[in-house]
Amino acid sequence: MRTWYFSEMAYHPAWDKGLARGSLRVNFPSENLDPVEAGTLLNRYLDEFALCDEVGLDIMVNEHHSTATCMTISVPMALSVIARETKKARLLSLGNPIANRPDPVRVAEEMAWLDCLSGGRIEMGLVKGAPYEIAPANSNPGRLMRRYWEAHDLIIKALSTTTGPFSWEGEFYQYRAVNIWPRPIQQPTPPIWMTGMSVDTGIAAAERGHVVGTLLSGGLAKPMYEAYRKRARELGWQAGPDRMAYAAIIGVGDTRAEGLRRANIIADYVRTAPVVFEPFTNPPGYNSVGANIAMLKAGPRAHRMVTDRNGVPIDHRTATVEQFMDTETVFAGTPDDVFNQLKAFNQRMGGVGHLLFFGQGGQLNHQDAKANIALFGKEVAPRLLELGAPEQAEAAE
Amino acid sequence: MSRQVTVSGVSLEIEEKGQGRPILFLHPGEGLQPNRPWLDRLAENHRVIAPHHPGFGGSVLPDWVGSVDDLAYLYLDLAAALKLENAVLVGNCFGGWVAAEMAVRNTARFAGLLLAAPLGIKVGGVLDRDITDMHAISRTEFMRRAWADPEKGAIDYTKLADAELAGIARGRETLAVFGWKPYMHNPRLKRWLHRIDIPTHLVWGEEDGIVSIAYGEAWKAEIRGATIETMPATGHYPHWEHPNSFAARVKTFTNRL
Repeated sequence: MRTWYFSEMAYHPAWDKGLARGSLRVNFPSENLDPVEAGTLLNRYLDEFALCDEVGLDIMVNEHHSTATCMTISVPMALSVIARETKKARLLSLGNPIANRPDPVRVAEEMAWLDCLSGGRIEMGLVKGAPYEIAPANSNPGRLMRRYWEAHDLIIKALSTTTGPFSWEGEFYQYRAVNIWPRPIQQPTPPIWMTGMSVDTGIAAAERGHVVGTLLSGGLAKPMYEAYRKRARELGWQAGPDRMAYAAIIGVGDTRAEGLRRANIIADYVRTAPVVFEPFTNPPGYNSVGANIAMLKAGPRAHRMVTDRNGVPIDHRTATVEQFMDTETVFAGTPDDVFNQLKAFNQRMGGVGHLLFFGQGGQLNHQDAKANIALFGKEVAPRLLELGAPEQAEAAE
Repeated sequence: MSRQVTVSGVSLEIEEKGQGRPILFLHPGEGLQPNRPWLDRLAENHRVIAPHHPGFGGSVLPDWVGSVDDLAYLYLDLAAALKLENAVLVGNCFGGWVAAEMAVRNTARFAGLLLAAPLGIKVGGVLDRDITDMHAISRTEFMRRAWADPEKGAIDYTKLADAELAGIARGRETLAVFGWKPYMHNPRLKRWLHRIDIPTHLVWGEEDGIVSIAYGEAWKAEIRGATIETMPATGHYPHWEHPNSFAARVKTFTNRL
């Protein structure tokens, strides 16, 4: 299991105001942000990314828009800085919300440019994006996945074509001369990742051999991984742990209490991030018809919950760190505790090759964030590298 | 009463009721809702033909259909397939937009056009919202703006069957496919409204919080000879909120054709 550190580069000083208004995203006015303070925080967060390279961790960056929960508005911009400040870490974009991007060729250009700049260290996530990203992008949620797949195919074609230009006359995108310079070091493309929470995503990723990742999704992860492995077997190949990724909040400390304290502070991100004005949480067409039936039946005041290992629903907004640990969205304690929790998790999931280490959620201060990264990099990550596919899990399938 | 008709390769579910001068009725973004009394009231004086738009109800949305232009041509083909003559074209909300897109293309089969609170044109400047962003307000706020009396429009979704809920979910996605961007309008339509060459009447709810009466006046100004009347204590769906007085207004209009 490889470890990829990530942080959303939150603007947590505005969270209280956002919570009081009932929305931290889309319709939370930017007068609630002090741009000078934002700059200070961005520099601090980038220092924390740079530290990862020193302690042997890989790095992941994501992006969101119009929100106090994440100031990274452009994965390629953030990775440009990080690529220059790091030497060894692999750099994962997870990712470009490609169905919300009007220009997929531009996405291919940026990824190729980063791959050259970083000496071939880029991994490329092509993601659907969260529902509340639809409004800031003014992207049509109807037929979203058709647009996603067309952009996906075009980006791969653009990155892997060395004898261009080629033309593209699709349903959503039209170009007459695609011929990107520079082209990526990693051919035909940097490794490709997808994210999701459903069995369908697991199947779709398996059909293309992409890595599939899931973020803070608890009990939804295993059926998705199993669907991936099953589909891969049907297609005649064996999907190893290196095709599966999982994002979780992690707090380590010299004592269990210190690890839990750090995890608890980071978990404020999860308590805050889902607080979004209702109409932006489920744009029409974003979710499947089946999911919408369930939501209509649940009534207007229902909201998304994860379940713990026993199937008991946990409310994201009020859960304790121990409850989050029961949902496997948080791992916390001493390095030994965290290693053992992740080892057991890896066993239950049938082998997860990539841990996306959510190690700074906003409120965690710089000293704690650095200590969390350094201790994890020194004491936990090297041991995780030796975790492979659990034999018992394979036999059980 | 509903039947399936294939037009231009698209399978449409059509509600049909009554006798007399035909009305082709194009439903709002919230769906056809044929069980509300509006259909019976209109059918007292007319043969009402009301298709579910592709993607709504039992009508199929093929991959290749994705714009209001497609719907306009599809319904012109439907009118031809049904051999309609001297018919009245009626549309509300999103259906009013579709009706106008038909009428700027070809009015040969229609004697009159009645638009109830149509969406579809851009009137104000770049910072003006002519049409309420129905997707950026809560459902409660939407109901408050769309109905003079929101209670009349309330639907308890928790009591509906899965098939009906699936229809609602598909319809909502379909409305996004057709109207998300530009939001519920065609920036060029206003410039073509002068082509409408049949008597046109606009009906507007006085408490419509989705599109204002001023927006209705802008429609009137672009269509030669158009008339407008308002309905008191009425929101965005006059035929649902006051089916009797809506049907009476339709009758008065058709009598003068």
